[in-house]
This record gives sequence, structure tokens and C-alpha cells, in this order.
Amino acid sequence: MKHPTVLGIETSCDETGIGIVAGTNLLAHQVASSMDEHVAFGGVIPEIAARAHVTEFLPVLEAALEEANITLDDIDAIAVTAGPGLAGALMVGVSGAKALALATGKPLYGINHLIAHIGVGYLDASGADLTRVNQLGALLVSGGHSEMLKINSLTSDVELLGGTIDDAAGEAYDKVARLIGAGYPGGPVIDKMASQGDGRAFKFPRGLSAPKNMGTRDAPGKDRYNWSFSGLKTAVSRAVEQFKIRDMEIPANDIAASFQEAVADVITKKAVLAATEHDIDHILLGGGVAANSRLRNLLTERTQAAGIGLTIPPINLCTDNGAMVAALGAQLVADGIVPSDLGFSADPTQQVSIISV
Amino acid sequence: MGVTMNYSAQLPDLAATENFALAVANQLQAGDVIILTGELGAGKTTFTQGLARGLGITAAITSPTFVLARHHTHPADGLNLVHVDAYRMSGEDELASLDLETALEDSVVVVEWGRGTAEALTDAYLDIELQRPGAVTDELVTDFSDDDVEESRTVLVTGYGPRWEGSSLA
Repeated sequence: MKHPTVLGIETSCDETGIGIVAGTNLLAHQVASSMDEHVAFGGVIPEIAARAHVTEFLPVLEAALEEANITLDDIDAIAVTAGPGLAGALMVGVSGAKALALATGKPLYGINHLIAHIGVGYLDASGADLTRVNQLGALLVSGGHSEMLKINSLTSDVELLGGTIDDAAGEAYDKVARLIGAGYPGGPVIDKMASQGDGRAFKFPRGLSAPKNMGTRDAPGKDRYNWSFSGLKTAVSRAVEQFKIRDMEIPANDIAASFQEAVADVITKKAVLAATEHDIDHILLGGGVAANSRLRNLLTERTQAAGIGLTIPPINLCTDNGAMVAALGAQLVADGIVPSDLGFSADPTQQVSIISV
Repeated sequence: MGVTMNYSAQLPDLAATENFALAVANQLQAGDVIILTGELGAGKTTFTQGLARGLGITAAITSPTFVLARHHTHPADGLNLVHVDAYRMSGEDELASLDLETALEDSVVVVEWGRGTAEALTDAYLDIELQRPGAVTDELVTDFSDDDVEESRTVLVTGYGPRWEGSSLA
């Protein structure tokens, strides 16, 4: 089937997303977020997220069908995020998807959330023309993930080049926001504060960038393409406390800007290095941190300098959504990949090598 | 449940934190629970990474914050490690939903931010708190670019329950 109509369901974190695509054409893109309910806690509360998915599942499904102006009968297959993500949250989507598959008799694909972030790049709406790309790479940066991937085949062969060895980038944002009393979610608040601060005011560490970590191209260190944000977090905490001890006002904007500079610098430097050394000629950016202004600018600058193409999809396709799940589902169907057995369960720590279960 | 062991030490540098983690790892057996406390940047990650190495676990110890719990399996027949971040858990119920009791049969469980919830997992546990001293430099520092700077930590260990009676980490 060349242009299958696929319904995609995403519930791995705090977004209930349902999208519908026909081949590479986006027909519906509906998302309900429980983010507001988590603000007071400074992070996603799994129990609250799971309950919200239960409440939102049917309204979002109905809205998506209405937007696409089709019925469930018109759908060729259903795709759902099987992992990675929060166990309780994933389970709601997987159970709902299985129920729909059973009721309609449509094939079901339990897919990998991270690969779906790449799948979204295949939609016409992403603004990417991947047909001219020889070797695609993807940089995924979000609250739960930081990965650099090489896509040999979207539906059967995705290689992990590097990732974080401790905190995800977005998680570091949340934790640093807590340290400087900036609120939640950390990404947008720090980005905003950074715009009023001096990114050179403080020098924060670029984790795993020392020669012993990097090695050389021919003899790469094991962390050549890996990130670490744990030391950066400690450095920010040391920077903050010296003002607290002296009972001085914390220069929060300067710390935010300097922290953001360190994160954007080390992420883009290593991503471009991994791309250059793996003949990647185009990078697709995905995940919620794609909204970060400094990361976008620096990545644009550095990919251009390296002669590497870059696609940053519209931000509502970068953050978690169902359209990306549908987009990957459509590619799986088009490539003749066998649907999942309905006995599969959600896998909170699903590896990137498992594209569909 | 009463206090059966107290231990405290100065950990002058990263290597000392690692050595301390190794010493703790050497004492552990299946079913042990460690409640790990410390501010952001206090060294919880370094400690847990050292503990994992001490147990012989080779997998990377990435943050459990997003998924709440990560299960690290020992490559041979040693102890597994379950690494939990309870910061966003609302109470014992939610911790119970992670099914840690089952894991305890062949694992040790480390719960960051577990005070007030993780005590319910077991009748004997180690409470480990890492403290960073405040900065005492004469002038304000703005250059933190050196990752390898050595900074002292204080560790406070309290053992609860008969399991830790008479044991020593020194």
C-alpha cells in the first residue's frame, strides 16, 4: 500500500496526541496536554498524566476524526507509542489502541516514540525534502531524551551514535530552573531569562569534551558523541550558592544564559561532529527542546558551516504528538512491515533498535 | 524501626565518593534498600554510578528522573540494581505501583528523594545523605569550566533495622 491512511496515538508522557495521515499527507493533528496540572510539582506526575490520558482519549480521537473528516472505517492501520515513556501513561494509549484495533479489525503497530520523532520528518508538513538526502541523521532533544541517531532505514535500521550518560537535556533545564527559582517547565522559562542575560557571564563545563573523552576520529573515546549534564548541574548549583551564602541577589538571567550557552554548544558541537564522521548530509531536529532559540540558532549556524542540511519541523510537530506516530505507522505499512501481535505490552525503556514491536 | 548504625565521613574528592560507593556496594545483598538524599549537584549520580560499578554492573547509569525507575541487570549472576527517582511521586501508593518488592528478590534498590515514601518497602534500609559544603571562596567565582574540580562532600549514613546492626562501612 503506497499511501495508507493511518491513525496514530501518543500517550508516553503528558500529551494525549492523536493524528491521522494519508501517506505523507497530514490530515489531523490533535493534542491535549495535562502540562498545567504538573506545574505545581515541577515535573510530570505520572499518576496525573495517566488519568488525564484516560479522560482525553475519546475527545481527542473524535476531534481528530472530525478534523480529517473521515470515520474509523476509512483507516488502513492504527499505530501507537509502545515506548519508551512513563509506564502508566503508555499503558492507556496501548490499551485504547488495542481496543480500537479489536473493534475495527484494523492492523495495529506498537511503535518506538523516538523513531516517531524522526518519522514526522517524512510528512510534507514538516517542510523537509528528504528525497534528496543521501544519509539522514536525527538529533532528538527533550525532557526525557537526548540522542544522536543515524537513519539507515526508518522502518528497519536506526543506529544510536550517541546519547546522554546521565540527565536528558530538558531534564537539566528543569533542574537548573529549580536551582534558580525560575519555575517549570525549565526550557521556556530559561530560554526567556537567557534572552535578558549574558551568556558569557559564567563559564560552565561542556561535559565529556576533554581529549580523554573525545579520543580521535580514528581512535574515538567511548564518549566521543555522548553528553553528560550532571557536572553542569553541579556547576550551576555552585554558582548559585555563592550568592545565597553572601545573601546577594542571584544573577539568574546571566546564569540562565550561560547555562543555555553550555547546553546548546555541547549538543550542537557533538551532533555536527557525529554527522561529519558518519557521512550524514542532513539532520532532522526533534523533541521539545527543538523550541529552544539558542539550540536552533547554533545548530543552524554549525550545520551550514559543515555543509550539512537541517530540518526543524514546525514546533507543534517536534513536541510529542500523534501525527508523528501516524507518520511512522504509514511508513511501516508502506514498507510492508508486519503489524504487531496484540499481545504486546508497553515498554517504558524500549531501545531505539526496536522500531516496531 | 530503630537506628542500628551510624557512620559519617568526609569525602574530599570524586575518587573518595567512588571509593565510598564501592565500600557500600561490598556490603550489599539482595533486598537491600538505599534511600539517597542530597541537593541537586550533591553527587547522587556519582555515588550511584560508583555503586553500580562496585556491583559489577556495566550498563550506563542514566538518570531515572523521566521514567521514574531504571532496572540495570547484572551481566552475570551478581546483584541487579534498580535506580528510582521518587521526587515526583505523590506517596507510597505510587512507589508501590513500580512493583519494587518483586525486584528486591534479586536486586538492590536505590531510591533518590525517597525519604517519606521508600521506608515502606522494607523493614531495614540504609539512609545515605550527601552534603556539599557551601562555597567559601574569597571572591565570587564565574569560571566553572573545569569539570574535574575536586570538591569535598560529607556523607551521613544511618542504618535502620537489624540488618545493619554491627555493620561498618569504614
